[in-house]
Amino acid sequence: MQEKLSISEVKHVAELAKIRISDNEQEKYQIELKKIFNELEKIEEVKDYDEEIIITPTEEKCQLRKDEIGQMVNPKDMLKNVPRHSGNYIEVPVVINE
Amino acid sequence: MSNYIPTIGIEVHVELKTRSKIFSNSKNGYGMGANTLTNVIDLGYPGTLPTVNEEVINIAIKAATVLHCKIRKMMNFDRKNYFYPDNSKNYQITQNRTPIGYDGYIEIDIDGKKKKIEIEEMHIEEDTCKSAHRKDVTLLDFNRAGVPLIEIVTKPCISSGEEAKLYLEKLRETLLYADISDCKIEEGSMRCDANVSIRKEEKDPFGTKAEIKNIGSISNVKLSIEKEIIRQQKLYDNHETFKPQTRRFDSKLNDTVLMRVKETGNDYRYFPEPDIPYLYLTDEQIFQARKTIPMTPDERRELYDKRNMSEVNREKIIAHRELSDFLNKLVETNLDFQIASNLLLGDISSYLNKKNKTLKETKLTQEKFTDLVEKVIDRTLTSKNIKDLLTDILEKDQSISELIKEKNISNITDDSILKEIIHKVLENNEESIKDYLSGHDRALKYLMGQVMKETKGSADPLLASNLLKEELESKK
Repeated sequence: MQEKLSISEVKHVAELAKIRISDNEQEKYQIELKKIFNELEKIEEVKDYDEEIIITPTEEKCQLRKDEIGQMVNPKDMLKNVPRHSGNYIEVPVVINE
Repeated sequence: MSNYIPTIGIEVHVELKTRSKIFSNSKNGYGMGANTLTNVIDLGYPGTLPTVNEEVINIAIKAATVLHCKIRKMMNFDRKNYFYPDNSKNYQITQNRTPIGYDGYIEIDIDGKKKKIEIEEMHIEEDTCKSAHRKDVTLLDFNRAGVPLIEIVTKPCISSGEEAKLYLEKLRETLLYADISDCKIEEGSMRCDANVSIRKEEKDPFGTKAEIKNIGSISNVKLSIEKEIIRQQKLYDNHETFKPQTRRFDSKLNDTVLMRVKETGNDYRYFPEPDIPYLYLTDEQIFQARKTIPMTPDERRELYDKRNMSEVNREKIIAHRELSDFLNKLVETNLDFQIASNLLLGDISSYLNKKNKTLKETKLTQEKFTDLVEKVIDRTLTSKNIKDLLTDILEKDQSISELIKEKNISNITDDSILKEIIHKVLENNEESIKDYLSGHDRALKYLMGQVMKETKGSADPLLASNLLKEELESKK
């Protein structure tokens, strides 16, 4: 079994997670991430993923809620938890994607 | 340029018409102050749990039904994981493995033939928050976060921009009529993406795909697909290749523009949403949801054809839901649907447009309307009379007969009286008779005008015109 991930695989994961990592960290994660992946692969062997997988720890069925409007949050209270805002809008760094 | 075969698939998101959101009881609304329609679930606070809105499931059942989809009775939700500020949970709750509807279709008419546009699947998911990009900051409004959506995905079976346009028009009409969504593209309650690729021959594998996202109107979907096909043709003709990519349609440039190249496939790491147990639909629930589906546009087309309505009127009536619903309430009567639709689309529609009113806001009842149609058929009322009476018909409580009496309308329907007037008109217009006899049709119109003038508009136009022609022909 392969001992570590390639540098490009590590970079790919970092890109997906939107984190910047140094060259030293890349080498470190080549080994550490591989160990995690090896554990995850064991799960794949255990269970056929397609049929009736267990998705919750209980056997409960989904209970539906009536379509009624309830209490909403006052924007002023919500904005107390936000580092930056402009009027009632939450401000974040510019990200242009989808 | 060489010939290529285009292959197109369309993905459409529509927001569902519910009172509250899909997983929380915040209001589902549009056009309100930023972040005023949210609660801890929409904002993704830790420790909160989603609960599924019953109405979303009912509407999805209706949508699956009108799109001729099979309905899955056991389903779950999945998490689609990605890092982007439009979703504070860092995942969107959707249905990846078990879409509620699958294997459906919508039928379109293209070049006089019917074609089924196959629907691969339709699933339920939550909308994300709305982000507005400014120069150096992005602003977030979570009012849209958690608004219920269905995404409808076709198979790659569409072969032109025109077909895509017809599909989207039919889809929109179908969803509107079933009260699924208000499908306002300009407000974002209907959003269209198109996947476009081309290949040389049917036996070849599909070409590299470009996805055109968030196109602002149905006509631009057609245009952007046509432009994209040409762009890909030019590349292949020059022996160039391109990577799978996402593009957008720039309506100023009138062309598609590159947004980003997809270096890898999707890395959304879907897994089942553990906070929502399996959902089981019962036959009773499906039956009850289907019971509320109003007559579909295609069923209306069939009905109007049976009632001998012209194709032009049929399509205009269907495009105006309120008129169609009004007419359908009279389906049990033997009302003449052609004359009825003429009245609704003509004078009545002009009044409604002018006054910016709906039919409901007028005094026109089904009974009064039936009476009006009958009075047109038995020639008690001429088109001129209707024009004169219409405002009163629509604004007053009085019956048609009462209004006729009040306005003192009495039309000349007696042949002998009309003939006398025609003789008088002809005596005074010998030149016009000559013109008519030498083949000038305009002379007939002029003479007819004189007859109407002489009778102060009270002659039955059809009868008067027939008698006038008879008189003129006898002079040949």
